[in-house]
Amino acid sequence: MADMQNKEEVMLRVQGIHKSYGSLDVLKGIDLEVRRSEVLAIIGPSGSGKSTLLRCMNRLEEIDKGSIEIEGGFLAKTGKDGKAAYAEPAECRRLLGCMGMVFQQFNLFPHMTVMENLIEAPIQVQKKPKEEILPRAQALLKKVGLADRADYYPSQLSGGQQQRVAIARALCMQPDIMLFDEPTSALDPELTGEVLRTMRELAEEHTTMVVVTHEMAFAREVASHVIFMAGGSIVEQGEPKEFFAHPKEERTRAFLKNML
Amino acid sequence: MDKLITMVTQMLEGSEITLEIFFVTLVLALPLGIFVALGRISAPKIISRLLEVYIWIMRGTPLMLQLLFIYFALPMIGIKLPDIAAALLAFTLNYAAYFAEIFRAGIQSVPRGQYEAAKTLGMTYPQTMRRIILPQVIRMVLPPLSNETINLVKDTSLIYILAMNDLLRVARSIVQREFDMTPFVIAGIFYLAMTAVLTWIFKRLEVRYGRYAK
Repeated sequence: MADMQNKEEVMLRVQGIHKSYGSLDVLKGIDLEVRRSEVLAIIGPSGSGKSTLLRCMNRLEEIDKGSIEIEGGFLAKTGKDGKAAYAEPAECRRLLGCMGMVFQQFNLFPHMTVMENLIEAPIQVQKKPKEEILPRAQALLKKVGLADRADYYPSQLSGGQQQRVAIARALCMQPDIMLFDEPTSALDPELTGEVLRTMRELAEEHTTMVVVTHEMAFAREVASHVIFMAGGSIVEQGEPKEFFAHPKEERTRAFLKNML
Repeated sequence: MDKLITMVTQMLEGSEITLEIFFVTLVLALPLGIFVALGRISAPKIISRLLEVYIWIMRGTPLMLQLLFIYFALPMIGIKLPDIAAALLAFTLNYAAYFAEIFRAGIQSVPRGQYEAAKTLGMTYPQTMRRIILPQVIRMVLPPLSNETINLVKDTSLIYILAMNDLLRVARSIVQREFDMTPFVIAGIFYLAMTAVLTWIFKRLEVRYGRYAK
């Protein structure tokens, strides 16, 4: 399906985003674009604003200035008064529904089984009949390798398994864009592989993804575009091969030297 | 032996009003407590502050004073309630305040990530509360709720001062009439039986709602 669609289509466009907490400027004018089937990796030291940027994209944080455009619709834009204004609630809901999110801490619902976690939002939010959702949920669990864990509670699973359930839960809403906020940072090193493998498969199926990550190997091998952030700004960006082989900025080189 | 049976029968009748106050208060004060808690957390500031004052008054003055106030003082300003209604009003307002604080603590102990996950899945605030937050809150508030509920069983004896024939008042009148202390012992056994049943129920609930925890 995704192959047939226009790969040039801009799924997400962020322009001139500013965000501050009190006197602390966390984002100082960020511009970026994500096209269909693209995997954008955002890397950078902690405190660089990369997670805040991701959370601004789906309005877990609100921007002060700039614009956010999702599949051609404005989630937020800035008028003459210089302050960002968000779209009407119904439009916001529609646009935000195009995105799925995976968190560092998984955030599965602990009182629900794996299957219940997956079907909750499709039934409650999209009002889909259960008979329609169950096969999709089962297929997704199979895809993330957890078909036999449908009736487990999250507390009975390992961190890596929980994160794969969280990915399946987000996918069950059939989003057009998947956002990942440091999806492997809370995991033991030996468990990151299974989560990265799942994400790599998604990328191979041409899922549009924005991934905030510390996994340089993943960024290099899977991403189609890499952005390096520091101090609330984009310092450098490019194709991963070129970016990792020949970083131009001193700050990028220093960061990569520490990471590799 | 006959005398004992008569005593127990009379006291069972007294238990009726005790149980009525207990159940009606519980049924009214639990939902009211949830709404007060939600109001304190997410209502506009002015409402939240008013609820705070309400909780302060209810927790800061004796329940006995509140009972007397509603029973004797309200008629003076033209509000006359039937005896039982006055008692129920006082108990409900008082217990809702305590329940509200228990629920508030429970709601606030649910991690932020749960709200964020629900939000990114498109759930509305009422959906998030009903489907995600409150079911987790119930598990956390069961132990303090169990405490408060057992207190309520014993607090029902305060209606004694409103001249209603509850378990304790019946016991006392028999004691005074017969110069026999047995009714007090029986009353104690009655209260113990009621709290034993409650303890058992809460234990079952904790097992049921705790099944998803490690």
